Amino acid sequence: MVVDPAGAVNREQVKQILERNQAKMKYYLSHCAHCALCAESCFLYQAHDRDPQYMPAYKVIHSVGELYRKKDKVDRALLLRIKRIVWKNCALCQRCYCPMGVSVPSMIAFARMVCRSQGVYPQGDAEGEPESWL
Amino acid sequence: MSRALIDFIRGPMFWIAAAVFVCGLSFQAWRFFRLTRDKPRRFTDAPAQSKKSRAERFLQRLGQLWLGCRRSLLGRQPTLVVVTVVFHCLLFVIPLFLWAHNRRLKDALGVSLGSLPEALTHFLTGVFLLCCAFFLLRRILVRQVRALTAGTDLLTLGITAAPFLTGYLAYLQWFDYKTILLLHMVSGELMLVLVPFTKLGHMLFFFFYRFFFGDEYSFGQGSRTW
Repeated sequence: MVVDPAGAVNREQVKQILERNQAKMKYYLSHCAHCALCAESCFLYQAHDRDPQYMPAYKVIHSVGELYRKKDKVDRALLLRIKRIVWKNCALCQRCYCPMGVSVPSMIAFARMVCRSQGVYPQGDAEGEPESWL
Repeated sequence: MSRALIDFIRGPMFWIAAAVFVCGLSFQAWRFFRLTRDKPRRFTDAPAQSKKSRAERFLQRLGQLWLGCRRSLLGRQPTLVVVTVVFHCLLFVIPLFLWAHNRRLKDALGVSLGSLPEALTHFLTGVFLLCCAFFLLRRILVRQVRALTAGTDLLTLGITAAPFLTGYLAYLQWFDYKTILLLHMVSGELMLVLVPFTKLGHMLFFFFYRFFFGDEYSFGQGSRTW
């Protein structure tokens, strides 16, 4: 299926993806205690002067959390914001630790999958972006 | 407030709240096992035979424990760990071993647990409330935690602290005793009902994760995976 990266978001498709994984993702979101103990396990957080935006919990709340909050109203602007979080702010190195057992990497990977389904992903020099954000 | 409502809160409502608590946690445990699966066992999981003596192995384990503590949360944020452990211990110890609660239990069921001296439970409740204040300040003042804090987090903390605060006030007989006591019962029952359905359910999942998942801070290799 050809996706127009600048076109409208296929909300039905996004909704289907969200509903297929709803049980696990909502489980993870509801069990996040917002304790910020995952912060120090992220090397990007440490490298960026302990900026809260790089905390694993912050990343999943503002990516997967936003997707489920806006399930029927996902638009390109939201996906572009999420793209920045799940690609620039996360290397998917799987080093993040959660005392409650929330699997942060699988949530980030899920958010990437949703973005990719709508043609939203880092495209290197085509958009004037650097090839790597790291 | 009508007598019937007060009697309902004092009596059947407690049992309803306890039933919701137990059934809710059972449902969450079932959900946990439904969402996870058995981890396939690999041949590399088998422990290698050690050629070291018992004393050498013991010293090695001690060294690993020391290093582990230093690198863990206990080494990096000792105050938070101590307050968290004290808070969670008192969360169970105070309600279970309070004389007034055991007296009610004896009246209702004919059995009760042992009770701690009232002066001690009063002091421990004060310590617990100080721990709640610590968590509240942490949510407001620490930048990383503030970035994650939502209204529900403050509400959850308030719901947890409310039974202890109202119990403390009732013991001191500040304000109208009957009103404070009623608020104490309602807030306690509310907390029991909300535990399975909010992040307070971490009372179960914290241990599930420690024992069922293999992770750097878990006990053992773990038998489940997502």
